[in-house]
Amino acid sequence: MRSVSVLGIGETKMGRWPEKSLRDLIKEAGTKAIQDAGIEKESIQALYMSNFNASYLAYQAHMGPLASEVLGLGNIPTIRIEGACASGSLAFRQGMMAVASGMYDIVLVGGAEKMTHRNTEEVTTGIASAMDFELEAKVGITFPSIFAMIANRYFYEYRNVREEMALCAVNAHHNGSLNPDAQMQKEITVEKVKTGFPIAYPLTVFDCSLVTDGAAFLVLTTTEIAKKISKKRIIEVVGSGHAGDTITIGAKKSITGFASTQLAAKQAYEMAGMKPADIDLCEVHDCFTITQIVNIEDLGFFEKGKGGDAVAEGKIALTGSKPINTSGGLKAKGHPIGATGISQIYEIVTQLRGEAGPRQIKKADIGMNHNIGGTAATCVVNIFKGW
Amino acid sequence: MAKKAKIYSFTIVYSSSEEFKDKVPYVVAVLEENKERFSSFIEGYKEDIEIKIGMEVEFSRFDEAGNVVYKF
Repeated sequence: MRSVSVLGIGETKMGRWPEKSLRDLIKEAGTKAIQDAGIEKESIQALYMSNFNASYLAYQAHMGPLASEVLGLGNIPTIRIEGACASGSLAFRQGMMAVASGMYDIVLVGGAEKMTHRNTEEVTTGIASAMDFELEAKVGITFPSIFAMIANRYFYEYRNVREEMALCAVNAHHNGSLNPDAQMQKEITVEKVKTGFPIAYPLTVFDCSLVTDGAAFLVLTTTEIAKKISKKRIIEVVGSGHAGDTITIGAKKSITGFASTQLAAKQAYEMAGMKPADIDLCEVHDCFTITQIVNIEDLGFFEKGKGGDAVAEGKIALTGSKPINTSGGLKAKGHPIGATGISQIYEIVTQLRGEAGPRQIKKADIGMNHNIGGTAATCVVNIFKGW
Repeated sequence: MAKKAKIYSFTIVYSSSEEFKDKVPYVVAVLEENKERFSSFIEGYKEDIEIKIGMEVEFSRFDEAGNVVYKF
């Protein structure tokens, strides 16, 4: 396998953009990534395009050719990748493997989603296609309710972390307020999170990630080529893992720890020859506040049942020992589903390059992104190293 | 179909999909019976019912799609 590096990154500001089409979002983020890479678009040999729900929310499938036409990529092969909320990291991994294998030297990886033009019930229905629709959505289950059940079971098996869940949202909003691309630009308090409009007990609206329009793109190439042409810090992909689990919540062995995360992380750590303590920062999949606590345990950063303590002690803050979601995460930066995993990698590369401005962390040499799909039925974990 | 099952976890749903918007607030749960777990709608939720993990609920009926519905 050849070593692969991220040569260019681009994303839109995340938010509610009624005046912007999928085409507009793709054009903005894709053009930025190609410019950032410092290459001509003619050198791109393939496009791996992530999208989850445009078929339902915007009646748009066949996202590969759509993005290719918008970006003027001619006749290159394109493919749409879908793995629910993990679609972005899955597309990244397919592009990474294509370059590593020697099939292509330079590929474009992108993701886009347009969601805010539909009402909450319609978005809830669309997102429910990432669970077993017949066995779960048809009995009244929604994604917030799945993670609410995970929270209640976590309270039962370990302890009540309602306060610490709220602190996850507070941390996310603080980081988002320092990120110009974040949908949420304001700080929030623990009290506001806990007393917000109830969505699914114990989750309020402020425990939930956002409904977002946005796009993000990456240019990948071999580390050898990156060293020749890049004027920026080389960001190598040193580890990558991808694992699965049952689609239904009922069939999982445990719902307070995700087997897919644990296995994908193990693969990524082994490939990189690293351990959790080596990771300087991580963008984790905080679709809900409880998910962040479960994730930081599953990734090995903190002991099982102790994630809440770490949050309360400030370890996940920008100035803490393990900064989590410096971008604001899904909770404050936003969750444009197909673009989310790619936007996580955008943040890791930005931090490793030292370009994160007021939210820049001090030591940023090794970064990780963690992206789950559905009820953690799909998980991708990647580790990046700045040279 | 088990006449009784235990609550493995639960939630009260206040914000639903289009199909269930007339039913909020309502309870859904992961139920456990003979070490098998499955998801179910739980009928008969009222604000004064204290729901706990481990409590038993009773089989009520099959819904139109053939899925089980339990009740408090």
